[in-house]
Amino acid sequence: MKKFIIAILFIMCNSLLAQIQFEAKASKTSLGLNERLRIDFVMNIDGDNFNQPSFEGFRVIAGPSQQVSQSWVNGKSSFEKIYSYYLLPIQKGNLVIKQASIEYNGQIYKTSPIKINVTNAVEEPKDPNDTQISADDNIYLVADISKTNPYINEPITVVYKLYFSYNIGITNWRELDKPKYNDFWSQNIDIKQLVGEEGMFKGEKYRFVVLRKTVLYPQKSGKLIIEPLSLDIDVQLPTNHRDMFGRVVVTNGNKRVSAGAKTIAVKSLPEAGKPIDFSGAVGKFDFKVIPSKTNLKSGESLDLIVSVTGSGNMKLFNLPRPVVPNSLEMYDPVHSEKVNTTLAGMSGKISDSYTIIPQFKGNYPIKPMQFSYFDLGSGTYKTISSPEIMINVLDGPSANDPVATATPGTSKNIISGSEQFKYIKLKSKLVSINKEDFIGSNIFYSLLFFPFLVLPLIVIFKKKKDAIDGDVFGNRIKMNNRLAKKYLSEAKKQINNKEPFYVALEKAMHNFLKAKLHIETSDMSKTNIQQLLLSRNAGSQTVIDFIELTENCELARFAQSSSASIQQDFDKAVMIISDLEKQIT
Amino acid sequence: MKKIIFILLLSTQFFFAQSSFEKGNALYQKGQYEQAISAYNSVLASKKHSAELYFNLGNCYYKLNKVAPAIYNYEKALVLNPNDTEIANNLKFAQKLQIDEIKVIPTVGFSKMVHDFASIFHYNTWAWISIGFSILFLLFFIGYYFSQIALYKRIFFFGMFALIGLLLISVSVAISEKNDFENEKPAIVFAEMAFVKSEPQNASNTIFTLHEGTKVYVKETLENWKKIQLTDGTEGWIEKTAIKEVK
Repeated sequence: MKKFIIAILFIMCNSLLAQIQFEAKASKTSLGLNERLRIDFVMNIDGDNFNQPSFEGFRVIAGPSQQVSQSWVNGKSSFEKIYSYYLLPIQKGNLVIKQASIEYNGQIYKTSPIKINVTNAVEEPKDPNDTQISADDNIYLVADISKTNPYINEPITVVYKLYFSYNIGITNWRELDKPKYNDFWSQNIDIKQLVGEEGMFKGEKYRFVVLRKTVLYPQKSGKLIIEPLSLDIDVQLPTNHRDMFGRVVVTNGNKRVSAGAKTIAVKSLPEAGKPIDFSGAVGKFDFKVIPSKTNLKSGESLDLIVSVTGSGNMKLFNLPRPVVPNSLEMYDPVHSEKVNTTLAGMSGKISDSYTIIPQFKGNYPIKPMQFSYFDLGSGTYKTISSPEIMINVLDGPSANDPVATATPGTSKNIISGSEQFKYIKLKSKLVSINKEDFIGSNIFYSLLFFPFLVLPLIVIFKKKKDAIDGDVFGNRIKMNNRLAKKYLSEAKKQINNKEPFYVALEKAMHNFLKAKLHIETSDMSKTNIQQLLLSRNAGSQTVIDFIELTENCELARFAQSSSASIQQDFDKAVMIISDLEKQIT
Repeated sequence: MKKIIFILLLSTQFFFAQSSFEKGNALYQKGQYEQAISAYNSVLASKKHSAELYFNLGNCYYKLNKVAPAIYNYEKALVLNPNDTEIANNLKFAQKLQIDEIKVIPTVGFSKMVHDFASIFHYNTWAWISIGFSILFLLFFIGYYFSQIALYKRIFFFGMFALIGLLLISVSVAISEKNDFENEKPAIVFAEMAFVKSEPQNASNTIFTLHEGTKVYVKETLENWKKIQLTDGTEGWIEKTAIKEVK
């Protein structure tokens, strides 16, 4: 119990004793020779007669400054009074700041002395307390490239952003090196006003401005280099100094920044499936060919508009040229472009307007036109065909009108007004395709030379005829011979009729004799015949047979005889005649 | 019996061709040009042709605005029947659709007269004419040889010499016409666009460009190339596939 009371008393005493505090606080206990030191003498009472220490080894550069503050918290008041000094050491070594004293309610209170170690002068930038800000770590120029492996003519964008941290300011910037886009078609997108934005960069919050936006269309495959953009920037850097109003003093600096060179690997367009008429259009397009009118008079003009709308490398390819018949006069086109360039690339419409003046009446087709492009979405080539356009020239000057024939040399095409396109032919005589030519054929040659071959024959024939006509005797023999043959053949025919057979046989034999022996019918007597035949060297047996046969003929005509004997007589006659023929000279 | 079948076969083929031709005409009248073309082509497939058939085919193609086949068929019709005015007239219409405009250099003077005279008839007709002269000559000779009156004899005698002269002329005209016909190889450009090169190589430079329907004359052939001459006299080499020869 006793102990407890003593303890309470002791605590109370202690608290009573602790009520008055008077201390000296130095900002640091070790400092360089060129550094400054702040020392505060803090008390919680309103003491009087403050006695500052002598500050041996130090020079007072500011102070004393007095600061008083009083506050009430939960009905308890607290009071603080501070005397502050700024000191600069004037010598190295261990220095001691001696006691300061105050008087309060007749009592004197003192602080405890503070030991300060002064070292060699330290370099200012290394001073951790120095908050001088460098431009190097706070400003960056970055080139953002939308795609690093595009196709040829695929749009890519380069955006130059300048990042800078919150504690520096920028007053001005100049471009030192404008980037050169060799092997690119480039278009700058104008930025009317620079707008500061916030963004994360290197894991920290930065402010940035977009300085420049460029749309690029690579024109060559392979590795292409975008040359860097360099800027000279005037920066405002805050210092540790403050002006008399407590504001931070800024210094103007100058900083060069550069976005590094970027390499872009450009892919060439695939060769597979590349249309022949591909003119390098890459993107997504629609193709139209529109005539202003299709029915018109000769001499009137019409406009044919060939247009491509869509997005892609609009300015970098040529439109296909229409092909028209020679009787439509076509003039050179008027080219127009309505193309907007945004970050996504070019889009809009390009068109060629052709003026066409027909010359003659009629219907003229304008050939379908084809436009091919490489579709980036699907990575394939696409071809759009326009329909065939018919131009009807209704009427106008007839085609022979000299006015209508603007160009000389078209005379072959002049068609008189009365001439119309003729209807098909309804009748035809079809012949074989492989018909041989008449000329050069054997028939041709034989027909051609036949008359000439015939000529000598005619001459010979004429000669012979003349000779024959002159020879009367020979003619008679010839005639008798002919008669003999004639009757003999008649006899053969009549071989079944006895009477005409023997008549014919007899006549044949008589005529034979007439031809051979050159005698007339009046001289025909058996003895005469016999003599004559023998005198002509005929065989005596044959002569006898002959006489016998002639007699037989007369008899057989009236006598009964079989068909066998008739045949026998005929054979016999033939044999005798042939024998006589041989024997008679 | 076999003969009858053979004749029947031949005649059916003939009637088939003839009826295809008429079918084509009917289709043409209805405006079904595509079908008419196939009907006419079936006639050609049966190895029969005529100037009228090619003319009608040309008309079909003209109606379909196919310039090159139209001109080609008209030219083919003119080969078979060179003096038909209707064919020449429609050919002019078709030529107005063609894209190229090439001057025709006219031949003048004596050679033109000779050529005009020679081209009055087809060379086969000239051949028949010379045969006629030859036979006439024979008749005159007979007349001379057999006639008894001195005046007739004299007339036939001189007539013979005149006929010999005429015969020689007609034969030479026929032969030269045939040679002309064989040496002149007209062709029509069928390719929509054809490049005419200075040498028969793809790498050589293009002299000019021809479009479909243009008439050219083939001079020489070398592998896939043909040397062509235009009606205005310019020459060059063109790929074989771009043109189609008329004869």
